[in-house]
Amino acid sequence: MGIALSLRDITKTFDGRPALDRVSLDIEWGMVHALLGENGAGKSTLMNIVAGLYAQDEGAVFLEDTELTDNDPSQAKARGIGMVHQHFKLVTPFTVAENILLANPQGAYGAGLRKTRELIAEQSDKLGFGLDPDARIDTLSVAEQQRAEIIKVLLGGARIIILDEPTAVLTDEEARALLSTMRVVAEHGAAVVLVTHKLHEVPAYTDTVTVMRGGKKIATTTSKDATPADLTKMMVGSAIADVQHRPPTEHGIVLEVQDITLNRIDGASALNGLGMTVRGGEIYGVAGVGGNGQTELAAALVGLDRVDGGHILMDGENVTEADVRALRQRGIAFVPAERMVYGLAEDMSVADNYVIAGVDRGEFGNAVWTRRGRIAAATQDAISEFEIAGAAPATRAGLLSGGNAQKLVLARELRGDARLLIVHSPTRGLDVRACAAVHRVLIEARDRGAGVVLISEDLDEILKISDRIGVINRGRIVGEFTAPADRHEVGALMVGHA
Amino acid sequence: MTTETVSSNPTPAEARRGLGRVTLEVRQRMPAWKHGLILALSLSCGLAIGVAVLWASGVAPKGIYEEFVLYTFFNAKGLANVLVECTPLILVGLSAAMAFRVQFWNIGLEGQLILGGMGAAFFALNDIGPPETRLALMLIGGLAGGALWTVIPLLLKLKLNVNEIISTLLLNYVAFQLLQDRLYGAWQDPDRFPHSPQLESVERLPRIGFGDVDSGIWVALAAGIVVWWLIQRARIGLFMTFVGSNARMSKAIGLPVTAVVAGSVLLSGALSGLAGFVVVAGQEYRLTTTFSGGYLFSGIVIAFLARNNPLAAVVVAFLLGGLYVGGQSIQIFYNLPAGVIDLLQAIIVMSVTASELFVRYRIIWRRA
Repeated sequence: MGIALSLRDITKTFDGRPALDRVSLDIEWGMVHALLGENGAGKSTLMNIVAGLYAQDEGAVFLEDTELTDNDPSQAKARGIGMVHQHFKLVTPFTVAENILLANPQGAYGAGLRKTRELIAEQSDKLGFGLDPDARIDTLSVAEQQRAEIIKVLLGGARIIILDEPTAVLTDEEARALLSTMRVVAEHGAAVVLVTHKLHEVPAYTDTVTVMRGGKKIATTTSKDATPADLTKMMVGSAIADVQHRPPTEHGIVLEVQDITLNRIDGASALNGLGMTVRGGEIYGVAGVGGNGQTELAAALVGLDRVDGGHILMDGENVTEADVRALRQRGIAFVPAERMVYGLAEDMSVADNYVIAGVDRGEFGNAVWTRRGRIAAATQDAISEFEIAGAAPATRAGLLSGGNAQKLVLARELRGDARLLIVHSPTRGLDVRACAAVHRVLIEARDRGAGVVLISEDLDEILKISDRIGVINRGRIVGEFTAPADRHEVGALMVGHA
Repeated sequence: MTTETVSSNPTPAEARRGLGRVTLEVRQRMPAWKHGLILALSLSCGLAIGVAVLWASGVAPKGIYEEFVLYTFFNAKGLANVLVECTPLILVGLSAAMAFRVQFWNIGLEGQLILGGMGAAFFALNDIGPPETRLALMLIGGLAGGALWTVIPLLLKLKLNVNEIISTLLLNYVAFQLLQDRLYGAWQDPDRFPHSPQLESVERLPRIGFGDVDSGIWVALAAGIVVWWLIQRARIGLFMTFVGSNARMSKAIGLPVTAVVAGSVLLSGALSGLAGFVVVAGQEYRLTTTFSGGYLFSGIVIAFLARNNPLAAVVVAFLLGGLYVGGQSIQIFYNLPAGVIDLLQAIIVMSVTASELFVRYRIIWRRA
């Protein structure tokens, strides 16, 4: 179909650290091109250059046969290059139509808005998005916001569409729908670039795949010819050993949840008579489609939210009324889903983030004098033990990549020999290698005798490391399985209207 | 599996060359020396603009140097004046830093300072306790008065999530009215002027034997050390920094967030109250209607320039004291309006604020 975009020897450094090293790449019209690589491989940086957000140090970008000099976001947009970023660029209190009008002005406001609404409705119909042009952005789910972004880019006249990790925030079902849609868009002649680190998306939904690692292009190949093993090897550089399952040892019951209910602030029921029992030495996976009460369950278990009814027992004692502090003293640890909101203080150092819970327990000196030397030494040990790359004790935590930030959270949470670990979406946005590391840590905690509650919307993850699985649907556990569980049975319960 | 490496030669396109452009890129990290250099440069830039403004108003560079450096910092009388000037400044600077550290925007420093002065005056004017403990009681009265004035905004914030900027700011006016009520009423001097009678000698902070400098400077420096210890070394300090940096995370990790905020804010109020005490007992020797003037803005400026760091706040307060002392003589000898000092202060603050751009972003200028 012809080359849409051609990148030649693109090189880019940030503060002396090379991010891209002479990367050359061709994107063809009518194709979905996967850009595959671990976090930090340079995929997003490369695409940000194409979209005009960054300027390359060396090399050239050609659109068909024209070299893009002085590329910037408005130039790129004018030339038909559109990018959907990982963090959406939408104004939350405004409606879908207003946001799209803001990005693509249509003359007079009133008439423009009417026209934009029509265009949105038409485009949304064509793609099967079912998007209401008058819905406020903050009332939309993440998947719907993403659809608004895609329509914004398409209505902006984009013919080269770059999606940066679009499925990281979606459920299985939503991801499949999105990827199929993008195939259709490509079949109509556009060029689609899918930046991803999810291997399984490559063969089914893309035509060509380029693997990047450490700022370099490793190879470009036809998607259908690429085996997952080959791709993994190219992404990671060496094959990763599979997580070894071990039958859990028998321990007492750590956590008993009896019939808890919890209402959201708006009165809607989030947890609706949920019950489950977790033993020491097992990983209890809570599987479910996002928004079925997972967030509220995690908050209730760690004491951030008070339940409206039912009981929570830890080691046989009623802790329904206990707050976070009391629960932590009993040995609860928490790995939250939003790690930069609830897991780490990004402006504080790695050391401070690592020791804060320990300082609270009195591990680093007493109330009147904190032992700074010990803190630095302990942090250094944790950095080596958990292989937190690119971190020194004084590094700002916000500078860590997703995987390393998560390792830091885990290192802190496991420091106190927790008896019960509440883990929510621990590998969201992490690459293959970091995922494996996180799973290894969870399994080690289990083997040590801790009870682990793994709440995750990633069914692969649940099936891979859980010893027992409970399916959460509309705020209650609707069925339990013992590993190895049948993927389809679990999936059916997840989406069933039980 | 077919693997191909792309290496075809691009068709040389007709390159359009512009005049070059400026792009901003977010910095990934910045070494400490570079950060320091940028701050130093921006500070020099602000000072240079300040010099230019003064020069344009008829003060020659030599005069500027003499007034702001020579006769201020390198002259016993000038230095003594600076120390007197900076005593309450240190305390309000620490007060602001303490509250800002937990993201509580205490704009009520002046009200707290008034209440602190009134608390101290209460013990003095009513002759409570034996003369030997009078000053100690006044100091406690100052601390308590200032802390008390933060209780209402604190409760409103914690219980009802009322914006503390509004509540603390408005309580400044209430405090001022309370002061007026006393000074036109029960505490009015027999001379019928709106001020209290003079304090007795046992109620005055003794001079330290260097110009007019009183022992309030020791109080302020001691407060600096205590706050440094609290923030940098005590357990609560780490908690405070976490609560200020990310309150939701602090809650999720089980820190006593409410207690930490309450403690910091009460202490912030107490420090402002202490400033009221040192002004009344060490400088004015009576309550006046004007003794609180200007300390709100100074306190905020000090905390901002010191990045809420207690030791830096002491240094900044000292330098700002120098600016005020030098500014006063400039006003007198060159017949300049009082606003000139505020102008200089504003220029410096703006320069430092503007330097944030260079800290956060790298600026690339491309020539085509």
